[in-house]
Amino acid sequence: MTEGKYGVTVLLAENIRKTYLGGEAPVEAVRGVSLVLQTGDFVALMGPSGCGKSTLLHLCGAMDRPSSGRLLIENSELAGLNDDLLTRLRRERIGFVFQFFNLLPTLTVMENITLPILLDGGGANEAEKRARQLAERVGLSHRLKHYPQQLSGGEMQRAAVARAVIHQPALLIADELTGNLDSENGARVLKLLGELNREMGLTILLATHSDETAAAAKRIIRMRDGQIENIIEQKQEAAQSAVV
Amino acid sequence: MRLFRQFILRHLAAEKLRSAGTVLGIALGIAVVIAIQMTNASSLRGFEKAIETVSGKTSLEIVGVGIGFDELQLNQLNWLREYGQVSPVIEGDAQAKTADGRSESLRALGIDVLRDRSFREYKLLEFANQNRTPSSQEFLKILIDPRSILLTEKFAVRHQLKVGDQIEITFSDKAETFNIRGLLKDEGPARTMDGNFALMDIAAAQWAFNRLGRLDRVDVLLKDRTQIDAAEAAIAKRLTANRLTEGLNVQRPARRGSQVEKMLEAFHFNLTALSYIALLVGLFLIYNTVSISVITRREEIGTLRALGVTRKTILSLFLLEATALAVVGCALGLLFGRLMAFGAVKLTATTVNSLYIATAAEPPPLSLKHVLIAFGIGLPLSLLAAAMPAMEAARVTPTAAMRGNDRLESRFRLNARYLILPAVLFALAWWFARQPAIAGLPVFGYGSALAIVFGAAFLVPAVLFALGRVGNKALFKLFKIEGRLANANLAGAIPRISISVAALAVSLSMMVAVAVMIGSFRQTVAYWVEQTLKADLYMRPATRSNVATDAVFSPEVERIVSSHPQVAAADRFRNFDVPYAGGLVTVGAGEFEKQIKHGRLIFKAPSNGKAAMQACIGQDAVVVSESFTIKHNKQVGDTVTLPTPKGDVRFRINAVYYDYSSDRGIIVMDRATFTRYWPEPLATSLTVYLREGADADAVRDDLLRQFGENYRVLIYTNAAIRREVLRIFDSTFSITYALEVIAIFVAILGVATTLLTLILERKREIAMLRLVGADRRQVRKMVVIEAGLMGLVSQSIGLGVGLLLSLLLMNVINVQSFGWTIQFHLPVGFLIQSSVLILIATALAGIYPARRASRLHATEQVSEE
Repeated sequence: MTEGKYGVTVLLAENIRKTYLGGEAPVEAVRGVSLVLQTGDFVALMGPSGCGKSTLLHLCGAMDRPSSGRLLIENSELAGLNDDLLTRLRRERIGFVFQFFNLLPTLTVMENITLPILLDGGGANEAEKRARQLAERVGLSHRLKHYPQQLSGGEMQRAAVARAVIHQPALLIADELTGNLDSENGARVLKLLGELNREMGLTILLATHSDETAAAAKRIIRMRDGQIENIIEQKQEAAQSAVV
Repeated sequence: MRLFRQFILRHLAAEKLRSAGTVLGIALGIAVVIAIQMTNASSLRGFEKAIETVSGKTSLEIVGVGIGFDELQLNQLNWLREYGQVSPVIEGDAQAKTADGRSESLRALGIDVLRDRSFREYKLLEFANQNRTPSSQEFLKILIDPRSILLTEKFAVRHQLKVGDQIEITFSDKAETFNIRGLLKDEGPARTMDGNFALMDIAAAQWAFNRLGRLDRVDVLLKDRTQIDAAEAAIAKRLTANRLTEGLNVQRPARRGSQVEKMLEAFHFNLTALSYIALLVGLFLIYNTVSISVITRREEIGTLRALGVTRKTILSLFLLEATALAVVGCALGLLFGRLMAFGAVKLTATTVNSLYIATAAEPPPLSLKHVLIAFGIGLPLSLLAAAMPAMEAARVTPTAAMRGNDRLESRFRLNARYLILPAVLFALAWWFARQPAIAGLPVFGYGSALAIVFGAAFLVPAVLFALGRVGNKALFKLFKIEGRLANANLAGAIPRISISVAALAVSLSMMVAVAVMIGSFRQTVAYWVEQTLKADLYMRPATRSNVATDAVFSPEVERIVSSHPQVAAADRFRNFDVPYAGGLVTVGAGEFEKQIKHGRLIFKAPSNGKAAMQACIGQDAVVVSESFTIKHNKQVGDTVTLPTPKGDVRFRINAVYYDYSSDRGIIVMDRATFTRYWPEPLATSLTVYLREGADADAVRDDLLRQFGENYRVLIYTNAAIRREVLRIFDSTFSITYALEVIAIFVAILGVATTLLTLILERKREIAMLRLVGADRRQVRKMVVIEAGLMGLVSQSIGLGVGLLLSLLLMNVINVQSFGWTIQFHLPVGFLIQSSVLILIATALAGIYPARRASRLHATEQVSEE
């Protein structure tokens, strides 16, 4: 793993491009983006709809491979990985949180949270032990046996966060995670992310339209037309105060 | 209409696989119904057509009771001429040996040439070529020689025969060579049995059929055909008024057809009922498809509603969707049905030929009637099946649907109605099962079956709910996380999968029921065969089928057998059909002393059957088969009144015995009792008991050698007759299995389409799973487990309900249709095998949906947001 200025490099993107060939004319969604994320980074991607932030997020989440350029996640070059290896990489090293929570409605909260470990072939006892600890931390201990539809929006998103980090990923990908929450619940989830970032050294890459959400990040990357427009480093304190 | 095209047809076209699956399901359902209709029709058609073509212009016929009547009685019938012309006839089945060495059935008609000309039109080819018909003198010349015969042009062409050739024909047990003196054009009687028709002089026919001095019937051609009712009544009155013609009856030719129809009724009714199972399963598919398209398109329906489309239009749209699917399904079903009918005719031919009548070998062509049946049944039932989901669609409000995927709100909750409804239906089934037959048909029995089937179907959600609760841990242990996910997916989709599971469960329960019934029945018959068939040799004339009672042994054959040094006893048995209670029963005459000494009938009542049988000798008393007592509600001590040549006679029923050889009911009397009312009978079968130590095969060979070329007799050894009985038994039920396999295939098709839909509906969840690290193999495994679980639940319900249905089939439906007692026997091996097969088959049905699921692209689903 590469040692960088701040710590270990989790993600390295060099001049990556993503072109979609589906329609009448090819669409270049990401045009030569370079990016480095290191352990403990908390980066917010911002920009208007269609600016390419979702595509970049997908690429960084190993959901897709770039059309050109180098993209490494913990030294694994994505271009060289087949679908199975990409899946394994996601399963072991990446966590996801989405706007619509995306909990499986037919599983209980406990079952949802333990899913990544069990999919990876981990033992049920160990998974449940960790799930309980995490549930305690996100304030859902009393909800473990409930089904998602019995939870409030905030609770669902906290369960989703617990699921995203149970396997101790190197990178957490979050897409509009507060988009479906009221401000109070939104703030609570952001605070949780901030704590995980600080205490566990979890690297977070978050896409958002909301300035308030972005304010929780240490770095804000603004995108336009598939390229990075500018990068704003935020003071640690400012970021912390944004989520308190 | 534009909305229908845009909203429904385009959707159906886009969902090709699901639409095709549904259409195929309906098509197979309709096809089975049509095929069975055609098969039933073909077995009757051959017979009725033969009656129709042979009857010619005959308005009425005078018949004897059972075995024709003495030709001297004709003298007593001179008065018939007051009503019109009369013509005596001999008719029966013979076998022609064809050039390739095989034998083919022929319907032979023996006529009095001079009297018969006005009744039937025979177009002889050589005269037709000269544009004229032969004069009576010319006709007489042709047929005067007892070795002369006329065949049809069609038969001759098929076997490369011409006028002047010789042909070997076996009548009863005698093989003789005949000279072909002419060929009949394919018109009138020549069309009988598709050209397998032979015409001969009546005297020659009497000799050939061993019916010297006897007539089968006298045909009457009325002067005034409009007065047929009055003539029939008057003739009947005059026949009974004269003691010498007392045993004769007057009837219309078609009556023979209706008697046969009644005889076949129960067999046909049961086949028809069975054929509707596949259709029922097909209807489940319609319900499934329409409800799935409603569920998956709630948002679109909401949009339409928001744009101002009325509830009525939405309702019509989805009903039209069902109509579109049904129309294509019915049309295809007609074509498939015609093809299947060929197979079905083959499968049922052995049964009908061995147990009932000689039949036509081909199903009838598609006619308007079949089109009406297919659409008349398929369309309304499809609409009925679609009505519920279509109404659900009409209830969708613009706002509810626009809120998007409301799946989270639709978690299945078990409420009391899922248990009450099945309970009510099962109670109804119990009540139905206790009702008597209607006109000899188990209408309530099938009503009960239907109630059980629907009860089971409505129980499915509760069973799935229970599985979701208790299966979680076990499945996790067995299949790890994929097992847990599959179980959770099913539990979450109960309203959607219930229909498919129910459809499969219904088909499987019928399969189990039929398997248990057949297994038990076979075991019962095998036991009966083992116990009762104790004679060493069983003989019958070569042309005699199990039911054609017109073939009898020549006296010479009886003499050869009786005088064989190794033969201890030969029981000469004669049987024939007698009209009884609107249908036919078989009356038999045997030698009771021999039967009591050597035979082993199993008696149902009284306990000492042999003594009761002994008591019949010298009395007007009979023993009857179990099916007779059940069908006609009789028991020991009752009397049965039979028409005899000497008028109606009452016989006391002394004993009831088990018999599985025929379902029409048999009344057997001692030969001495018989000859009091009927003339001395020639035997239709001989049951031979050998002396101790005699070798049955050697005696058989010796007898055949003595019969030589003159007599054609089939001799079965004890082992061979047992095999023959079970062979006929097995062939009887081959059609049942075929129908079942189709129903199960349709049901598995349902499972596959349902899973596919569930997967398309769950795209986002599956994408989510892929994101959190489920690889393709895991997704595939999950879906295949889901399919397997659906199979498991279906098979479990199928086994339980199937056992229930089998009891109903054996103790109610079978008893009411055929009157047989069947001992319960569980075919464990078959049930285990089929259960494993069903599990594998349903799991396999999950493979394609599983592949589709594993190919779903994670980012595309997430990007949709």
